[in-house]
Amino acid sequence: MNNSFPRLIDGMCATLRSEVLSRLDDEFARGQVFGVINLLNTLKVRADWSSGFLVAQIAAQRQALDGVRKLLADTSTIGTPALPDAPIPEAPSIDQLMARRDEGNRALVGLQEWLDGAGRSVPDELRRAVEALLRRAMRAEVDIELKYSPRPLFAEMSSGREA
Amino acid sequence: MNAPIGDEAMLAARIAGYLAQQVGHPVTVGAVRRFPVGFSWLTFAVPVTGLEGDRVTRELILRLGPDYGLFAPYSAQPQVLAMRSLEGTAVPLPRAYWSSDDPSVLGAPFLFCEKVSGEAVVPWVSANEPGLDEGYRKALGAQFIDALAALHCVPWVERPIAAMANGITVDNAAQRNVALWQRLIERWAMRSYPLAEWGIRWLKSNPPRAPRVAIVHGDYRTGNFLEEGGRITAILDWELVHLGDPHEDLGWASLPMYMGGSKLISRLAEPEWFYARYAEKTGFEVSMASVRYYQVFSLLKLAATHMAAARCFEEGRFNDMRMPAMGSQIATCLRQMDKLIEAS
Repeated sequence: MNNSFPRLIDGMCATLRSEVLSRLDDEFARGQVFGVINLLNTLKVRADWSSGFLVAQIAAQRQALDGVRKLLADTSTIGTPALPDAPIPEAPSIDQLMARRDEGNRALVGLQEWLDGAGRSVPDELRRAVEALLRRAMRAEVDIELKYSPRPLFAEMSSGREA
Repeated sequence: MNAPIGDEAMLAARIAGYLAQQVGHPVTVGAVRRFPVGFSWLTFAVPVTGLEGDRVTRELILRLGPDYGLFAPYSAQPQVLAMRSLEGTAVPLPRAYWSSDDPSVLGAPFLFCEKVSGEAVVPWVSANEPGLDEGYRKALGAQFIDALAALHCVPWVERPIAAMANGITVDNAAQRNVALWQRLIERWAMRSYPLAEWGIRWLKSNPPRAPRVAIVHGDYRTGNFLEEGGRITAILDWELVHLGDPHEDLGWASLPMYMGGSKLISRLAEPEWFYARYAEKTGFEVSMASVRYYQVFSLLKLAATHMAAARCFEEGRFNDMRMPAMGSQIATCLRQMDKLIEAS
């Protein structure tokens, strides 16, 4: 999911009001919709994304970044980019985890840009080793993202019918 | 900020005023009806009486590009240039009428076009949905391929769309396209996507030479044509049209997202038949290496589109629930893109 939790809640409430309530005549059904809106508003102030997938993504990044740091430290390659290595705080908030995940991703992008720029003269073997580490982390991130994503309901959203 | 589009009644009044100016006499606009389809431009049916000074009611299609839309800010120009360039060709499409990018007229850039009869075949179906009837899908499939081949054979240099050329050649077509979508990703992405960067690097490092520069639809697939009685009546949704390598449309049409759970390109054609018939109709050989390149490109482009959807929703421009749903599919597109790169 790539949208923020509060915004999703606000969007769901707005859609229920403007697109569902406005087309519902049945009083009981309308009451139920307001019930759902009520609960969504509660979730907005009490809930947030779970941390499991973020922790897993950050772990995959750190493994790659630590490996790259070691590879580049073992060589005399100059101009290597600085890589994040600050420890994750104890009992981190979701916002903190997201910030770390995004920082790690910026580092992975930065390393690719470095390989194409200042790191162009890196020996082929070292380049392949760095790229292999990057690729493993990038794939891990999307695999984790997919593992924590339900089946999309595009057929149902297009037709308005249960599949 | 543009003047708001307003509700359908307000829109009808503005349309009546605008059309009266265009045709030089008053017209009557009936109830404007919005179609629920599409993720980007808004589409309305507009019944108009008196366009030719008579009492006949004709239904026009109005396309509006709102400033809260997926790919905003919009211009009607590419669509208009393409549709005017394709008049009289073997590509079935609606006729374009009046258009303007001035938001003060109707609240957003717009174009009026002909209403063509027919229904769209839906690309997104559930796993339980049976495939299309064999005879029906083969007939549609042949027309789908033939229309695409006809598009790519249009001598565009002599047509209005040549205004979009900007120095494109068979040697720079791929790089220019990748550069465009790289800029769009920079504009839309709300965070870094390392795998998207990986894809961009691969595409920049492996650009094919185009067999020709052609008019490229940019979103050619099931869902973007109308059919009636087994006949394709119109190819729709020209908002991503541009000049480029025709293999791009082949790559896009063959994405797994449009197969509806089958092994058929756009739910219509076996791949071998699709490429063979296309090659026969265009007279040039299909490069499967280029098709694979443009499948990688198309998956990156689709991921970028989903980034735009996520941003559009996050910024509060749009409450359509399909937007965050599209945003949740960025990883799917990038993973498939990565698998194709790995296999290349």
